Amino acid sequence: MGAILEVKGLTKRFSGLVAVNNVSFRVGEGEILGLIGPNGAGKTTIVSLISGTLRPTSGVLRFAGREIQTLPAFRRAQLSIGRTFQVMKPFPGLSVVDNVAVGALFGSGGGHSDLSGAREAARHWLDFVGLAHRADQHADSLGGPDRKRLELAKALAMKPKLLLLDEVMAGLNLVEIDEVIEVVKKVRAEGISILVIEHVMKAIQRLSDRLMVLHHGEKIAEGHPDEVLNDIHVIEAYLGRRRV
Amino acid sequence: MRKALPWILPPLVVVILAALPWFASPTIIQFGISTLILATLSQSWNIIGGYTGYASFGNSVFYGLGIYGTAVAMVQFGLPFWVGMLVGGLLSVVFAVLLGLPVLRLRGHYFAIATLALAQVMSAIVSNVQVAGGNQGLVLPLFRGDKMFYELALGLLVLATLTVFWLSRSRFGFGLISIREDEDAAAVMGVNTTYYKVIAFALSGVFTALAGGIHAYWITFVEPESAFDITLNVKMIIMAVFGGPGSVFGPIVGAFVLQSVSEILATKISSLAGLFFGLVIVVAVVFMPKGLIDLRKRIGRLGWRYFTRNVKENRL
Repeated sequence: MGAILEVKGLTKRFSGLVAVNNVSFRVGEGEILGLIGPNGAGKTTIVSLISGTLRPTSGVLRFAGREIQTLPAFRRAQLSIGRTFQVMKPFPGLSVVDNVAVGALFGSGGGHSDLSGAREAARHWLDFVGLAHRADQHADSLGGPDRKRLELAKALAMKPKLLLLDEVMAGLNLVEIDEVIEVVKKVRAEGISILVIEHVMKAIQRLSDRLMVLHHGEKIAEGHPDEVLNDIHVIEAYLGRRRV
Repeated sequence: MRKALPWILPPLVVVILAALPWFASPTIIQFGISTLILATLSQSWNIIGGYTGYASFGNSVFYGLGIYGTAVAMVQFGLPFWVGMLVGGLLSVVFAVLLGLPVLRLRGHYFAIATLALAQVMSAIVSNVQVAGGNQGLVLPLFRGDKMFYELALGLLVLATLTVFWLSRSRFGFGLISIREDEDAAAVMGVNTTYYKVIAFALSGVFTALAGGIHAYWITFVEPESAFDITLNVKMIIMAVFGGPGSVFGPIVGAFVLQSVSEILATKISSLAGLFFGLVIVVAVVFMPKGLIDLRKRIGRLGWRYFTRNVKENRL
């Protein structure tokens, strides 16, 4: 299986604080890689480094065989890397369908050139995530779960080859989580590779082909989800060391 | 018919306005010229402020460059008026690109403050440039033809409005709007934010400078203080915000309404005009922060609740 994304020695320092320390991993083509870790482990920073929102201090990012660590965020988006934000970033003054249309207008390879084509594509993706019935409302009128769906539809409309999902299930109830899991599986069936950050353990265990654990900015485990979750270091990182 | 109205009304208004100088008194034509110029300025500001979300206080620099480009070209080099306008327009584009690149990196208040300083700096520079007449300013050749100035100003306003209309329904315009709504999200969706912002700044600058050129030849006298006047920039913003920023016709409606109000107030109660004018703006911002265009759209459905809702939503 070829790798869509290869990360080597990725490091990010924020004046003194090492948020991500020498992390290497790869995302295979069509694979779902789960990324977990306690709060402040550096998960979102990694997503921001890959999407170009942040620049790495050092390290190499290779996307589809091409080094991208020096490219600005919009170039990486055009190369077809899509992301969602943990703190959701809808365009509040636009309608739901126009929010998604922005992704279709720009996005991978420059996207659509005409508005009506982009809106048509946007409606398709809204239908895909189950938000078609709210297409014509204002984005700021959506509640939490629908905002997560919108965030997902915006990223999908970019036609990404790699999708970075930053906690799209946080704050959802069990039924909603199941719905999102189904959507993510559908996304993978479209041939899109996915890096997913999640706090909801059950969900990420069900979704991921492989799981990677981050702690204090360092990778402490990687492998099959069941094995990783039983790893003693991972348990320590989450629950603390057992005192004898 | 209801559906066709939005497509028929604007051209109709343009035709009526264009015919006006043949019927109206010289006073009305004078008022028309200054209002059309202000509407153009407000519409230009709308491109960078309303659509892109960057509250520029640097547009009076574009205006000044347009004024001085025209004046210097005509007075010092004896070039025709249209060449002078072209010079002013070019100057503003150069300025927008050179200063836009560093200044447009700043967001929110910082951008506003940085551009605020630009007008003061430019005024000081121009005061010390001999070819621009220094502190004394320049006197342009007199041209009696208010009709021409009126039609020119109207033509420029139409051009600026067509540009904004295109923005409202094009890929480029959507890029600008996404920057206004959330710049980080826009960037990760593939919008080349720096490029889009600079182009928007330059577009805003060109129309502002051309309006400045018309103003210079009309008034026939230019000097640094009034050419780079920051209060004019404030006026552009007030008019755009009053009418509805980020809409196609808002800034024009804002300019016409506020100019009329201030004209009426100035003739009726000259000394208190400023006070009333301020009051009108405060009331407008509190009760209809999204401008007249939004008011017209939603008052039918909401009635008086439109105002109370605005007050509540803004936690006043």
